[in-house]
Amino acid sequence: MATETIELSGHIVDSLLLAKVLDMIVDAGVAYELVDVQIGRTNVDPSRARIELEGGQPDLDRLVDDLQVHGANRLTSGATTLVAADRDGVLPAGFYSTTNLATDVLLDGTWVAVENPEMDCAIVVAEGRARTIPMHRVVRGDEIVVGSGGVRVHAPAKTRGASAFEFMSSEVSSEKPKALIVREVADRMRAARDAGGRLLAVCGPAVVHTGGAPDVARLVEAGWLDVLFAGNGFATHDIEANVLGTSLGVSVAEGTPTEGGHSNHLRVINEVRRHGSIAAAVEAGYITGGVMAACVRRGVPFVLGGSIRDDGPLPDVYTDTAAAADAMRAEIRGVTVALMLATTLHSIAVGNCLPAWVETFCVDINQAVVTKLADRGSHQAMGIVTDVGPFIARLADALCGDA
Amino acid sequence: MAELSWGRRYLMCPPHHFGVLYEINPWMHAEVTVEHDRASLQWEGLVAALRLAGAEVVMMDPQPSVPDLVFTANAGIVNGNQFVPSHFRHPERQAETEIDAAWFAAAGFEVERLPSELDHEGAGDALPFTPDDGDTVLVSGYSFRSDAAGVTALGALVGCPIKSVQLIDPRLYHVDLTFCPLDGRRAICAPMGWDLYGRKVIEALVPEPLWLEDDEALAFCANSVVVGTTIVMPSAPPRVGRQLEAWGFTVVECPVDEFLKAGGGCRCLTLALDVTLTATRASAR
Repeated sequence: MATETIELSGHIVDSLLLAKVLDMIVDAGVAYELVDVQIGRTNVDPSRARIELEGGQPDLDRLVDDLQVHGANRLTSGATTLVAADRDGVLPAGFYSTTNLATDVLLDGTWVAVENPEMDCAIVVAEGRARTIPMHRVVRGDEIVVGSGGVRVHAPAKTRGASAFEFMSSEVSSEKPKALIVREVADRMRAARDAGGRLLAVCGPAVVHTGGAPDVARLVEAGWLDVLFAGNGFATHDIEANVLGTSLGVSVAEGTPTEGGHSNHLRVINEVRRHGSIAAAVEAGYITGGVMAACVRRGVPFVLGGSIRDDGPLPDVYTDTAAAADAMRAEIRGVTVALMLATTLHSIAVGNCLPAWVETFCVDINQAVVTKLADRGSHQAMGIVTDVGPFIARLADALCGDA
Repeated sequence: MAELSWGRRYLMCPPHHFGVLYEINPWMHAEVTVEHDRASLQWEGLVAALRLAGAEVVMMDPQPSVPDLVFTANAGIVNGNQFVPSHFRHPERQAETEIDAAWFAAAGFEVERLPSELDHEGAGDALPFTPDDGDTVLVSGYSFRSDAAGVTALGALVGCPIKSVQLIDPRLYHVDLTFCPLDGRRAICAPMGWDLYGRKVIEALVPEPLWLEDDEALAFCANSVVVGTTIVMPSAPPRVGRQLEAWGFTVVECPVDEFLKAGGGCRCLTLALDVTLTATRASAR
């Protein structure tokens, strides 16, 4: 869905121009809203109507062209202003700060789609193309869009594909039938993969603690996940569970603390560091199962982002956060469904990088996580408030049963 | 019956350089030759008919390489001592704008310009109608030669309400081929030239329209010049003539078929100089 605003002025009421324009809009199957109508108070005063149109981009472009003949003008925000960055890693003052919505910029009179929509970035223009750029990537001399002139943002679609999730479009709630939700998520993942999209999972350590890791591994093995984002904790506990049968020292099978278990994860990290990488440890037979091993065997790329709380960390962990974000950006291309599994900060970090059209399902036992994700700008996130372990087991059953 | 408050003083341009040199409407065919002597005689006949009806005719000097300068109706919009020169859509006619602007400036008019990106072809696409019980409105056509947005800009310049009518038949490419105000109640109207909305606008505006049949419209009946109660017409089919005479008008048929080869009739060859659109305009300036 795209939006355009047009303005019509003059003696539009008694010339029936407004009526004609509205009729044309309706005939074109485009939704409209009269956002501002000023009717002249005397016969001589001109009237003015501002009309917001919403519809598919091709229909809309055709309609706006047709309406121009009748004096209805597209309200453009003016010309795009470009200012060259005067030093590396610093944007020009007044730079246009992006949203995660599909965005166009007006270059030489034509609207050009901005590549890689991502929130909280700037837009760089080079050779007639426009793309988002994070602040730290700016290089001196980059032509950066300044101000909001010549920038238009497409409204997000109001309905989601095959209306599968309309029943969930209400507030985040724990009071939803979980079996139904699992089936719907599975359907959306199937539809996304059929459409050629990539599927992303963002996993927190609780996935391992709650016994969900073997089910995530099943999804990876069966080809239902194309990219994995996690932190040092998730990968460590996944490996710990595989090698020592504990997660943070607690037996995954028994649920009881084990003797000296508090150092288990450190010993595992230490051994993986000895091998040089998770892939090397898998190859050497140190790691034989779990999510990380499945990713290595299936060639599913993973990005492990580090934090200051990390022990070790594992050799694959990015300790430079900017580098981690860039690695995630590189893997986000083509992702159309994202599962955020029991992780607060990592979900927000990933949500920040995702375009608004990526269907995002945030599974957490804590309702506040979902709310927080939406508050940080990922309004497309659908919240599923439940224990991640049983949820992922059911999802794996639903998908792998027929895979 | 209130006669038109305007139409007693006209600007015309002798057809020394007239010819069909290019094709910018369906009537024009470059292979058709204009018989210059005949054209001159017809033009002289029109001048004589207007003078006989009581109008004053003012001449502007013809210029080579702008053959359509003879169609002075397209020079621009006159409003008291204000003149808004046209912006022609076709490059073939764009050279006329400065010639017209210079003439009006020399004649003491205040020349005010339309925004350069908008097209409007003057009185050819805008004619005033003043209902007996109401204020003057400018009926303006758009699509083939004038922009709808140009009409809005024009309305702002002349301070007169404008009713826009979409023209839909390329043969009736200017509003003055479809609409001819006769007095405060009546007008000759060619509905075939307008879209449905335009027809409704005119129906609401003109209490007693004379609706032209399609063949009458294509004979340029609406492209007539009204001087008081005299109507000078390029052709007057019997049905039209009878109706006009029944209303008390004197109908004068003035053949200008040499000019029809370029898509212009009697009205196109004249520009009324005594039009006041804004009630306060003439006295204020």
